[in-house]
Amino acid sequence: MTSGAPASETIAAPAALLPQELDLARLIVSVLSLEVAPEEIAPEAPLFNQGLGLDSIDALEIALAVSKTYDVKLRSDDERNHRIFASLRSLSAYIETHRAR
Amino acid sequence: MAPEATLPLTDRRPDSVICRRDGRAITAGALFAAAAALARRLPADGGAEGPAEGPAAAPRAINVCAGRDRMLVGFVAALLRGHATLLNADPAPERLRALAERHPGAYVLADAPVAGDPGLPVLQVPAVAPEAAAPGPLPRIPARRVVAIGFTSGSTGAPTEHRKPWEALVAAAQAAAERFGLDDPAAPASLVATVPPQHMYGFETTIMLPLWAPVAIQAGASFFPNDVLDALEGVPAPRVLVTTPLHLRALLAEGRAPALLAAVISATAPLGPGLAEAVERDWGAPMLEIYGATEAGSMASRRSLHEPDWLPYRGVGIGPDSARIPGLGEVALADLLEPQPDGRVRLLGRRADVIKLGGRRASLADLNRRLLEVEGVVDGAFVAPEDLAADPAARLMAFAVAPGRSAEAILAALRRTVEPLFLPRPLLLVPALPRDRLGKLSHPALAAMRHAAQKGG
Repeated sequence: MTSGAPASETIAAPAALLPQELDLARLIVSVLSLEVAPEEIAPEAPLFNQGLGLDSIDALEIALAVSKTYDVKLRSDDERNHRIFASLRSLSAYIETHRAR
Repeated sequence: MAPEATLPLTDRRPDSVICRRDGRAITAGALFAAAAALARRLPADGGAEGPAEGPAAAPRAINVCAGRDRMLVGFVAALLRGHATLLNADPAPERLRALAERHPGAYVLADAPVAGDPGLPVLQVPAVAPEAAAPGPLPRIPARRVVAIGFTSGSTGAPTEHRKPWEALVAAAQAAAERFGLDDPAAPASLVATVPPQHMYGFETTIMLPLWAPVAIQAGASFFPNDVLDALEGVPAPRVLVTTPLHLRALLAEGRAPALLAAVISATAPLGPGLAEAVERDWGAPMLEIYGATEAGSMASRRSLHEPDWLPYRGVGIGPDSARIPGLGEVALADLLEPQPDGRVRLLGRRADVIKLGGRRASLADLNRRLLEVEGVVDGAFVAPEDLAADPAARLMAFAVAPGRSAEAILAALRRTVEPLFLPRPLLLVPALPRDRLGKLSHPALAAMRHAAQKGG
């Protein structure tokens, strides 16, 4: 997916994503129609607000896609929830430890 | 001089269950005991206040509690002290400061630590002790006192306030209980809701309704599909799910059958026929919809699959572009409605320019203005997708003419003045907008650009 936007102002060279993080990044970009290349998502950057600028509607969409793709059910009564959603890396790590194989 | 009209605070019996958390029942008596204890700790009156607002110089409570039990405790505590509650869920320090600027003396009621320093008093609402005894007779509330203030935030940083007198909220709760058959004390319903209690729809259904109808609201987490499905399994029948099209879509897609439901109620946006049909067929529950607005509260309802038109609540009169609401008077609406011969009303659509996303409203003209205020943007326009009302996850897109600037930089600037919900996805840079000789952007021209952008990718 490309847009008319030149990427000239994207400064930082993103840290390398692990293969499972790249898969998750692709999933998120695709279900949310984000204007960012999956490879460009910084693994440690916040997903919500300042980072990718996601909101609670996106959280629902991500929960749904994660459930379908990885069979991992996200719940908000989980005390660690805000940490799970903190970054691509933390979400991916959570999925990897809980996914049905 | 006639004495000031008053209404009771509640019609619940102290031993009836008003709330459930983690499978534990909380009685109305225990909840009011917690509220009375909290009321004694609230800040003293003292700021400047107009005479029609309630007791002179009453400060306001910003109740950001996410748990519905604590939201209820905080709301009733403020009510007992004559303090109006500001219905704001956002605990960001800058938001709390902005509210306090408009409402000197305001304080925060929270059930989680508030990050940063909002610069105003923050009180943690304690958990309800289930064994606490009822506090004795509760005071009556002046019928015309403003007890809650709702916000229509739209796209701007300065939300419009909507003041709710006690009598209007009580009338709406009683009308809803009657409409949805939630008024039988012999068959108290369990409510599970996905709407925040600070949204007017959530406030009416999960805070006011339990005070005025024999229902018990579930207080634990109910946001992600599996939270909601677990919560439904944890409460006794009859169960009523109070939700939105967005959540319904996610719940149905989860593919896990919910516990037996007596009814599903949706509001905030029109429900597509597909969702209504799926709920009635797959869940075997009547799919009911509320028509409402923050300014007016809930006004009418329908059974989505069988009824194209809306039946006004008792006492509510709905005209072409306004409604007569008990306790509020005539309220202008953002929708166009057509009264039908059978007493129902048909929803024709929203008045020009106003769009609604995730239960929040924005004006396209206002969004465009904010886009043009971004440095380097010489022209630009937001475009709403055609399926905005039908697709709960739909987003706005925008075109911008901004030589030398990137979409990322413009988005970053927009993020400072526009709510994240209304940020364009995508924001596309174009050499020019298809304006006609009068400088107007026609709908067909914008639609053509949108289609080209979506196809071209």
